Amino acid sequence: MEPLLEVDNLRVRFKTKSAVKAFMEKDDDPYIDGVMGVSFAIEPGQTYGLVGESGSGKTTIARAVMGLIPVHSGAIRFNGENLVGLSRDRIKPFRRDIALMFQDPAGSLSPRLKIRSILAEPFRIHGMMPENLSDEVARLLKMVNLSPSMGDLYPHQLSGGQARRVGVARALALSPKLIIADEPTAGLDVSVQGEILNLMAQLQNDMGLSFLIITHNLAVVRHVSDHVAIMYLGRFLEQGPTQTVFHQMRHPYTQALLSAHASPDPDAVHHRISISGEIPGLVSRPRGCEFHTRCPGVREKCHRQFPPRADAGKDHRYFCHYPLSVPEN
Amino acid sequence: MAEPVLDIRNLSVNYLTPRGTVKALRRINLQVPSAKVVGLVGESGCGKSTLISTVIRLMAENARVAAGEIRFTGKDMQQLSPRDLRAIRGRDMSMVFQDPMTALNPVFTVGRQMADIQYRDAVSRKEKLKRASDMLSLVGIPDAVSRLDNYPHHFSGGMRQRITIAMALLVQPKLLIADEPTTALDATLEVQIIRLLKALQADFQCAILFISHHLNVIAELCDFVGVMYAGELVEKGSVRDIFHRPGHPYTRALLECDPSVIAEPTRFLPTIPGEIPSLIDLPEGCIFHDRCPRAAQVCKKTPPPEVSLAEHHTVACHCLEV
Repeated sequence: MEPLLEVDNLRVRFKTKSAVKAFMEKDDDPYIDGVMGVSFAIEPGQTYGLVGESGSGKTTIARAVMGLIPVHSGAIRFNGENLVGLSRDRIKPFRRDIALMFQDPAGSLSPRLKIRSILAEPFRIHGMMPENLSDEVARLLKMVNLSPSMGDLYPHQLSGGQARRVGVARALALSPKLIIADEPTAGLDVSVQGEILNLMAQLQNDMGLSFLIITHNLAVVRHVSDHVAIMYLGRFLEQGPTQTVFHQMRHPYTQALLSAHASPDPDAVHHRISISGEIPGLVSRPRGCEFHTRCPGVREKCHRQFPPRADAGKDHRYFCHYPLSVPEN
Repeated sequence: MAEPVLDIRNLSVNYLTPRGTVKALRRINLQVPSAKVVGLVGESGCGKSTLISTVIRLMAENARVAAGEIRFTGKDMQQLSPRDLRAIRGRDMSMVFQDPMTALNPVFTVGRQMADIQYRDAVSRKEKLKRASDMLSLVGIPDAVSRLDNYPHHFSGGMRQRITIAMALLVQPKLLIADEPTTALDATLEVQIIRLLKALQADFQCAILFISHHLNVIAELCDFVGVMYAGELVEKGSVRDIFHRPGHPYTRALLECDPSVIAEPTRFLPTIPGEIPSLIDLPEGCIFHDRCPRAAQVCKKTPPPEVSLAEHHTVACHCLEV
């Protein structure tokens, strides 16, 4: 099937100092790399999960896809059309098809507007005012299982789960094809987390939506996404079908991340792959393989050279000089 | 069992608000034995934070203790003068907060902050700084001596949480209260912090009251667990009782909701339907009855009795399957 969204070798760089300062300091590369050449594709009706620790560049990818930050190189094709380099006016129609659910549900709802006005904003911005706005708002609220009377409330009167639902409703307003959900369950209790994820799954079934889910919660990704990419310092260290990545992982970082999520059992024996230290900053990006500073299986070559891409099967790729052997099932 | 370090008896706390009295905690009984780790789990709004702020007597201005008492090493916390309280807080009882980004003072070096909290000890500043750097290396901060001169913003999130733990343990408290100390951290760091706490707890033999909504962490770290719902402690017991033989329907539902325990991938996850009842107009009977799959007539009328299932394991429920 033709992918809905295809990201090809995307690279995003941020400037760290002004041109003058860079010149004075003889710094000919005053940039840091937020995203270093990632490629992935989302097919219609599918969910892609981006997993990684803070600072790994997950949200940067989302913002690049939305056209909110400039892209250094690479292509972002939506329905076959490259969005990179399009002017503001030309990209606007695509923003109807790609909606964003923000990370902080309460913070992304204007405290001065009633829910009804918040849900009307996408229509207003895109000049697509429906004939009967209040019907439309009621329809959106109903889709996310909120009562239409909630339109009269202000965001601070909602619970965390309700605010999250309003975020979903707003994303749905212009009938998008792709929804980018940035940490859709962060800060929610486990009982409410299920409600939001179930709602998203149901909308996907009913409307054939695609999702790009950004999260650091592996337990959630395992259930909801078809494909998953494990990010570290702006790279996909491993990516592939969720089941494959979870059960036949080849990268030691994937293994370490997975083993950090133990099952809640006091008698469980944790076969933890301990990785020490923390994710290095983007400014002090390690040479060679970026993970070598924390990798339990590091060898000399890892210090020098970033590993070439290796294909382990259909859509399953990783970057490691010394990959794990495939566990036998 | 020897006398517990912290003994909370029949504690009820109200908040006075313009809309009425919020009955935030009702009849809480909880003991923290010495040198043990007691975990408190529960979802937002269940009263975990009210409970710890009452224990350490840092309550909001509109909070009132309606009934009950809190005994810390035998002393009644409610009766202590501010002066006596000050002698306890930060010495016998210390605390690690949720957000390591805001728990440290940004305008003083870490070394100065760590020396300042030892203000009660009549030793030289040099000795205090020595203790501080020893403690920092103990919590795994490399090159501790030179890092005493760094400011909090020089450290990453995980490092800062290690520093707050070092500060809390520096005074060798009898009780450490940890309020969601790993929530703001990534998974690989969370593992590191939990291991660290476990190792230090064994070393220092202090009791820990550990608050979290993260079941995995509670299962790994704690000896005893209390489960809170809407201001009540609905179940408490040893960590194995709670995770292997949960009695209360709420505990069971909570454990089932955790996506990491569901082996087969599924698109539709279990939830607990309904919402927490209003704590101003409390429902009659059992607080959980309107969301409980097992609710019977009696649950709507009468508050449930506390049933003992095993030593230390009690459940407040009418409909236990025995």
